[in-house]
Amino acid sequence: MVIQYKCPNCGSDMTFDADSGTLSCDNCGRQDNIENFSEDFIATVFEEEEAKEYQCENCGAVIVTDGDTTATNCSFCGAAVVLADRVSGILAPSLVLPFTISKQQAEQAFRKWCKRGLLTPKDFKMADRIKEITGMYVPFWLYDLKNEAKVHAIGTRVRNYTRGDYIYTETKYYDVYRDLRIDFSRVPVDASEKMDDALMDKLEPYQYSDLKDFKTPYLAGYIAEKYNYDAEDLLPRVKDKMRKPLDDYIRSTISGYHSVNYKDKNIRTAKTKSLYTLLPVWMVYYDYEQAEHIFAMNGQTGKVVGKPPLSKAKIAGWFASIAGGSFILMKIISFIVTGGINF
Amino acid sequence: MFMNRLSKSAIIFIAFFFLFTTPAFADVERIYDEAGLLDANQIKQLEKKAASYFSEWSTDFIVVTTNDIEGKSLKRYTQDISDELEEKLNRPEDNMVILTIYIESSADREAYIAGFGKGEEYVDDARIQLILDHIIPDLANDDYFEAFELFFEKSAEYLNIRPGVNPESIFLNTYLQLGVAITLGGLIVFIMAYSSGGKSTVTSGTYLNRNNSRIVRKHDRYLRKTVTRKRKPSNNSNSGGGGGFGGGGVTRAGRSHSGGGRKF
Repeated sequence: MVIQYKCPNCGSDMTFDADSGTLSCDNCGRQDNIENFSEDFIATVFEEEEAKEYQCENCGAVIVTDGDTTATNCSFCGAAVVLADRVSGILAPSLVLPFTISKQQAEQAFRKWCKRGLLTPKDFKMADRIKEITGMYVPFWLYDLKNEAKVHAIGTRVRNYTRGDYIYTETKYYDVYRDLRIDFSRVPVDASEKMDDALMDKLEPYQYSDLKDFKTPYLAGYIAEKYNYDAEDLLPRVKDKMRKPLDDYIRSTISGYHSVNYKDKNIRTAKTKSLYTLLPVWMVYYDYEQAEHIFAMNGQTGKVVGKPPLSKAKIAGWFASIAGGSFILMKIISFIVTGGINF
Repeated sequence: MFMNRLSKSAIIFIAFFFLFTTPAFADVERIYDEAGLLDANQIKQLEKKAASYFSEWSTDFIVVTTNDIEGKSLKRYTQDISDELEEKLNRPEDNMVILTIYIESSADREAYIAGFGKGEEYVDDARIQLILDHIIPDLANDDYFEAFELFFEKSAEYLNIRPGVNPESIFLNTYLQLGVAITLGGLIVFIMAYSSGGKSTVTSGTYLNRNNSRIVRKHDRYLRKTVTRKRKPSNNSNSGGGGGFGGGGVTRAGRSHSGGGRKF
């Protein structure tokens, strides 16, 4: 089954517009609120036996997708299509965070980011070889976690005082116990096999206040994928991700000691909720010196991540000027301090 | 014409030669080795060094060794010797750094350094202690020649450093400064390269649900205490190489000086 959104005015294909947050028609400029878009204009075609082959309703061409795609464009006529059966049932996302950065804005923001790189080669900074820039809804699980931590530790307090000719160091030992309840809300973990986990982690944080209940029109005009890992599969990863915040919270409840030595940390983590959510990411493919560099941009905040190429000459230049400059500065200070000639 | 210029410059050169080198080769004795710790050749070398330091710093670097301090303290003996030398030298400016070595027996030896004029200002009590730190090991090994050379070098070095600054401060060490500069440059560039790919701006508090997170139960029970003690560091600044003594003073002729001595 494919879904296409037809403009009630002119019958053209409509796409989601990041600037206005509406379904809009490129042809006549009509904009429609997604919440009230009439069912009459949603063209749906059910394929036989929910086949894995989809047909564009406009031109009849076969829509070629891989098994994970849930939204794409017809490669012949460019019409935005949503593959309905892949976003329904257990594959139906609960929430979606719509794009707020349009393609033009994304391209501008990326160019600006390229220029800011202090170590990137000059010709990379021109940012004139963007091969492709794709808006993609990446599947995430948003976890709510409940943690029960029972912690035993030995804390010390140290005091120094002087009696007569001696300095005394008094160390007091305390048995410290904490029984804690620590909750985390909406921790995102990317559920797509194709996406690099480290890259996706760096895109955080997202502003959750803009989360919407999932509706297919948000996907129109973008690429979307379905999850490859379910919420149970990724539980170890979210636990791992929250280890440091958990430790930090535990440490914050133990104050007033010079040192804290943990004897026993008993932590039980349970998932209270996991929401299948689509988060907006602009993928930027950039050709530089025969190699493709991939960057990702948070489609809501505009934050760019990804390893840019580094210029050896610039690295050497920065190193030489920082090291040389600080050495000369220290020599000048020595000279002023000593008042010497041959320092 | 050419010859004329050549002879002119030769005359100027010779004039300068005498003007600046005469004091160095004049009949000034600065090494008085009454205890016989050096051979003739070593004395000649040290005299030459002392003379060249004088031409550079207009300060007399003097070494006196003796087996007999006429029943005085070594400090008083040094003061008296210095008064005598000052009268003999009759300098327009009284700049002097003097090291006296008293050998009573091989087990009972003392060294004392005093600074006069520029020497008092630049080679002050604290710096004399530093010089002693440098030369005492050589003296204790009977390497007198090396010790005296070192005494010259260190004194000359300190004359070049503004009074009040610790000349041995590691922050003045060129290698350390170079090391710090390279480390700093490397570290900053590494951080720049590392963070060029964007970094996580998520903190430990980002996903914490503060409303539901709380301490359910806790206790902090006192268990025991341990007490260790150590002796207060003494305020005695004379350190190392046996008993130290001295500090500066005023000679019988009314010349004030810096000073410091040590047994070795």
